[in-house]
Amino acid sequence: MSEAAAITVMVVDDHPMWRDGVSRDLADAGFEVVATADSVAAAGRRAAATVPDVVLMDMHLPDGTGVEATAAVREVSPRTHVLVLSASSERDDVLDAVKAGASGYLVKSASAEELIDAVTRTAHGQAVFTAGLAGLVLGEYRRTANAAPTDAAPGLPALTDRETEVLRLVAKGLSARQVATRLGISHRTVENHVQATLRKLHLGNRVELARYALEQGLD
Amino acid sequence: MCVSSTPRIDSTADADGTLPIWRAAQVFRLATMGYAVGVQIVQHGHYDRVALSWVLIAVQSAWTTYLGVAYLFPRTRRTPLVVAEVVVTLLLVLSTLTVVPHHFYVHQQPLPTTFWVANAVVSVAILRGRIAGMVAGLGVGLVCLSALDQLGRWFFDATLPILGTVGLAIGASAQIARRAHTELQTAVRMQAATDERDRLAREVHDGVLQVLALVRRRGREVGGEGARLAELAGEQEDALRALLSRARAQPDDRSAVGTDLREAVRAALPPTATFAAPADPIELPRQQADELVAVVRAALHNTERHAGPGAASYVLLEDLGDEVVLTVRDDGPGIPPGRLDQARAQGRMGVADSIQGRVRALGGTAVLETGPGTGTEWEIHLAKGMR
Repeated sequence: MSEAAAITVMVVDDHPMWRDGVSRDLADAGFEVVATADSVAAAGRRAAATVPDVVLMDMHLPDGTGVEATAAVREVSPRTHVLVLSASSERDDVLDAVKAGASGYLVKSASAEELIDAVTRTAHGQAVFTAGLAGLVLGEYRRTANAAPTDAAPGLPALTDRETEVLRLVAKGLSARQVATRLGISHRTVENHVQATLRKLHLGNRVELARYALEQGLD
Repeated sequence: MCVSSTPRIDSTADADGTLPIWRAAQVFRLATMGYAVGVQIVQHGHYDRVALSWVLIAVQSAWTTYLGVAYLFPRTRRTPLVVAEVVVTLLLVLSTLTVVPHHFYVHQQPLPTTFWVANAVVSVAILRGRIAGMVAGLGVGLVCLSALDQLGRWFFDATLPILGTVGLAIGASAQIARRAHTELQTAVRMQAATDERDRLAREVHDGVLQVLALVRRRGREVGGEGARLAELAGEQEDALRALLSRARAQPDDRSAVGTDLREAVRAALPPTATFAAPADPIELPRQQADELVAVVRAALHNTERHAGPGAASYVLLEDLGDEVVLTVRDDGPGIPPGRLDQARAQGRMGVADSIQGRVRALGGTAVLETGPGTGTEWEIHLAKGMR
């Protein structure tokens, strides 16, 4: 894993035991842990100073949420990819974090190999999806599609039929490889479709923010 | 249950929310006392026993001042005071007989009390509500009429309807104030309980869950005895998470019109099943939600029986606006073609039929996709609302 050595990571979590454990796993696997942070403020500051490839983000921080920290990190370091590590009971937060720019989500109980695989994929710009995240993202697109047309200004660009199909299969628990087999397309194409659903979600969120700023006269 | 950090409405200041009414009533008491003194000054020339009438009006003034001040304070024990007020009022009404000549007080109001008698009715009404208030009004009215020898003319006299109405109206408003006060306190208590639960969830998450998750991860890597510990930690972690997320969802459940299908299904799933759903609640009538949960249970049970212990289950909920889509999938060996028909031909009502039947009864469709090596997948479409 020679390429892993080049990947820089920041771990954001307010629990020292967890932070150290994860940092050790990452270091053992050849990643460079360039910073750790235990708060939203520290996360923003250190991301600006170190510009890591990947940030591992906890959802509960003493001075705010992982959603705020994700936004802060993406603000000061747009090239950094944020991977949310979360418990299953925090689904709605995870969707908000993804809308704020996180590019994936992993449950905290995932094994060290799963974690390392996820960080590697995140560093390469791939979206790390679980079935639960796919269900949330799918629900978000369905919700905006169902909203009355008078609700004007579609915040979210629509998914193509193929993207919806891929997202549904991921939400049903199929791996990218299984999706590829079932649809008779390449593994790479599946990854691209999945990434596109997140990119449009970020885009929608940015459009929403801009509209909000305009309405509030903050532009 | 006592929640230590409950922000409380100051119960010592106003135990039941009627204090403002008590205070307003004392203004009325002062005004009626002024009227009674005025009547005494204008009319005392007609009385038989003028000196006694001045003594009585003095007693009445002193009693009025005492009551007026006592009722202003929140800590006053009101029940004995109200009883005393009613008794003193009636005695003063009856004192009319000793002061005024018979020919004068017929067609008059009771002296020296005059309309001041209404205060006793008001106090009873605030203390005990509209029925007691109305009864007190009619009772005091009847005593006034009989003292003045007017009982036979009750129909032409305004005393009874006025005092009865005063008791009814003031009593009703006191009840409304009390109810509003109780509801506010309940709301504050519920809010406090929710805050407390959230705080607890955060703390447990920050401490216990983190450690359990870590043990689960590390233990699995260590292997052997460690793996067994990891398994135990994992089970406890899942159970605790489920408990916390249910506790957090509770206040919403109560206010919702129907049932949130997400929560209903989530609660029915074993910790090993993977669950995907939208972020927003999917509201369904309780019966529909219950039936869908039963379908999920049946499908999971089937997986457990036929797909072996290694098979994983996946449940997906989708909200299409006017329709919900439920998918239950497993990655087991699947059902060979013809196997279901074979079972049906043998007269065995399989789980498949029971799922189909339930969904059809609800007016929905259930499609089973399966084949060797591809697992089984139920996709159920159901229009929201009962038909």
